[in-house]
Amino acid sequence: MRTTALVLAAAAAALALPVVLDGRQLGIYVLAGLAAMVTVGLALLMGFAGQISLGQASFYAIGAYTAGLLTVNGVPPLLGLAAAPVLAAGFAAVVGIGLLRLRGHYLAFATLAMQLILLSVLAQSEWAGGAIGLQGIPRLSVGGIELDEDVHYAYLVLAGLTGTLLVARNLVASRVGRGLRALATSEVAAGASGVPVGRYRLGVFALSAAFAGLAGGIYAFYLGYLGPGSFPVLLSVEYVVMAVVGGLGTVSGGVVGAVAIVLLVQVLNDIGTRPGMPSYAPSVLSYAVYGLLLVIAVLYLPRGLVPALSRRDRS
Amino acid sequence: MHPLLRVNGLRRSFDGVFAVREVDLEVPRGELRAVIGPNGAGKSTLFNLIGGQLRPDGGEVVYDGDRIDRWPSHRRARAGIGVVFQGARVFRGMTVLENVMVGAHGVTRSGFLGAVTRAPRHRREEREILGTARECLARTGLSAWADRAVDALPLGQQRGVQLARALCGRPRLLLLDEPASGLRAAERAELAALVENLRTDGLTVLLVEHDVAFVSRLADRVTVLDLGQVIAEGTPTQVRADERVIAAYLGAEVSA
Ligand SMILES: Nc1ncnc2c1ncn2[C@@H]1O[C@H](COP(=O)(O)OP(=O)(O)OP(=O)(O)O)[C@@H](O)[C@H]1O
Ligand SMILES: [Mg+2]
Repeated sequence: MRTTALVLAAAAAALALPVVLDGRQLGIYVLAGLAAMVTVGLALLMGFAGQISLGQASFYAIGAYTAGLLTVNGVPPLLGLAAAPVLAAGFAAVVGIGLLRLRGHYLAFATLAMQLILLSVLAQSEWAGGAIGLQGIPRLSVGGIELDEDVHYAYLVLAGLTGTLLVARNLVASRVGRGLRALATSEVAAGASGVPVGRYRLGVFALSAAFAGLAGGIYAFYLGYLGPGSFPVLLSVEYVVMAVVGGLGTVSGGVVGAVAIVLLVQVLNDIGTRPGMPSYAPSVLSYAVYGLLLVIAVLYLPRGLVPALSRRDRS
Repeated sequence: MHPLLRVNGLRRSFDGVFAVREVDLEVPRGELRAVIGPNGAGKSTLFNLIGGQLRPDGGEVVYDGDRIDRWPSHRRARAGIGVVFQGARVFRGMTVLENVMVGAHGVTRSGFLGAVTRAPRHRREEREILGTARECLARTGLSAWADRAVDALPLGQQRGVQLARALCGRPRLLLLDEPASGLRAAERAELAALVENLRTDGLTVLLVEHDVAFVSRLADRVTVLDLGQVIAEGTPTQVRADERVIAAYLGAEVSA
């Protein structure tokens, strides 16, 4: 009961906020929503497949570039947006066949390497705009109506996030979802119960990539410009922190973690860009705080904010 | 008719030491076969080779006419091989009921799309899985625990959850690795009655158990392993009279 009330309250707030926020705050809202979409997928991957991806921003980038390149080359924007998650998931499925054989730290390194390679390929490819990036991406239009205000994108992100959450929730409560939760705690017993462990693990990896790809697609239309610099490794680290802080293996944890971290980053940026601060202050501060947050989360909230809070609720 | 399970010259070593060497085994349909032997004899290794948790170094496992020794474990589960592990291999963080529902995985099919769209067929299958899982819990006497976190159960009951989970996959061959350990006398008797029942239903059962009395009462035939090899096979009475068995196994029990 209390959970339902909380979810309703959060939904009402999410619906009302775009109307009352000012321009700069709307930008933060959109970025938080996009980050939440990515993090919901990553929390599934980390919680259920037991895999750490340090390259989740690659799928965000692939989605963004897919949508951007297609529309710049004359494909209808909506089709470009639809292609974003598909291509990201396809890419994940292909690299996943090799990568998911790796365990623990190796997968983390491999996904990190994947992102570095992707960034350098993007920076050197004429067709992707090279290091300068992709300019002049048209705005998204749905049924002849062009989405050209930030408020539109805020609601588009909210719709995307809602879809993501519904997919994740329905999946977790299903036969496949039980199989995933099972393999997260005992691969051996899951296999013996008929769960195709390797295929499922690849499946969550692709699904998490699809969520990231969809978020990236929306991002491309929102910004209208893409460059390799929009997808730094720091962004991937940020997603991991968000997922860990929010709670792995939970559906709502991704949202809680993303919103909490985006707000925190704003505070840090405010501090880091005060007069008198060196130019590197914002990025040094974020790295330091991410590191600190990870340590704190692992030490004191090993299962993340959401499970910790709901446990307190129950007792 | 061919036997349900046939094992030929099966071998598996760890770091150069054989855990199972040249094991031959034939289990006809409907038989309750006990596998006994001292600690480290290779009983669990043999089970893992049949269940697909381990790959053999050599030899073959033929189940229902199919050569399965290279199949992944989930495919063997689908083919009807149910496993209860010696250790408490349950799905922590899930309820007892959910644990058992996972067992239906091999005999159900709805996938990602059905789940995400909540298709009617998927919902119907979910109800079926729930029904079967509840039946299996009732059969293993765990109904009262259904909505508890599985981690909260004593180890003996966690093995009961494994048994219910295995039954939920409608197995034809059931591998039970020391299912009675950690149970009290009354619980052992209940388990024995349940195993007896399963056999009456036509299930073929392979049972590892240290308690010789428990085994003798239940088993049609007994296979004795020592140092990875079969040293005797026969009815419980025959095996208990076998000198090599007395020396290798019962001797060890007595001296222990
Ligand atoms: N994963 C493994 N790695 C290395 N050695 C192993 C492994 N599994 C089993 N062994 C070794 O193989 C031998 C057989 O072990 P196994 O577990 O099959 O015996 P068991 O008959 O089941 O014994 P118990 O009655 O104690 O359960 C032992 O010497 C054991 O140490
Ligand atoms: Mg054993």
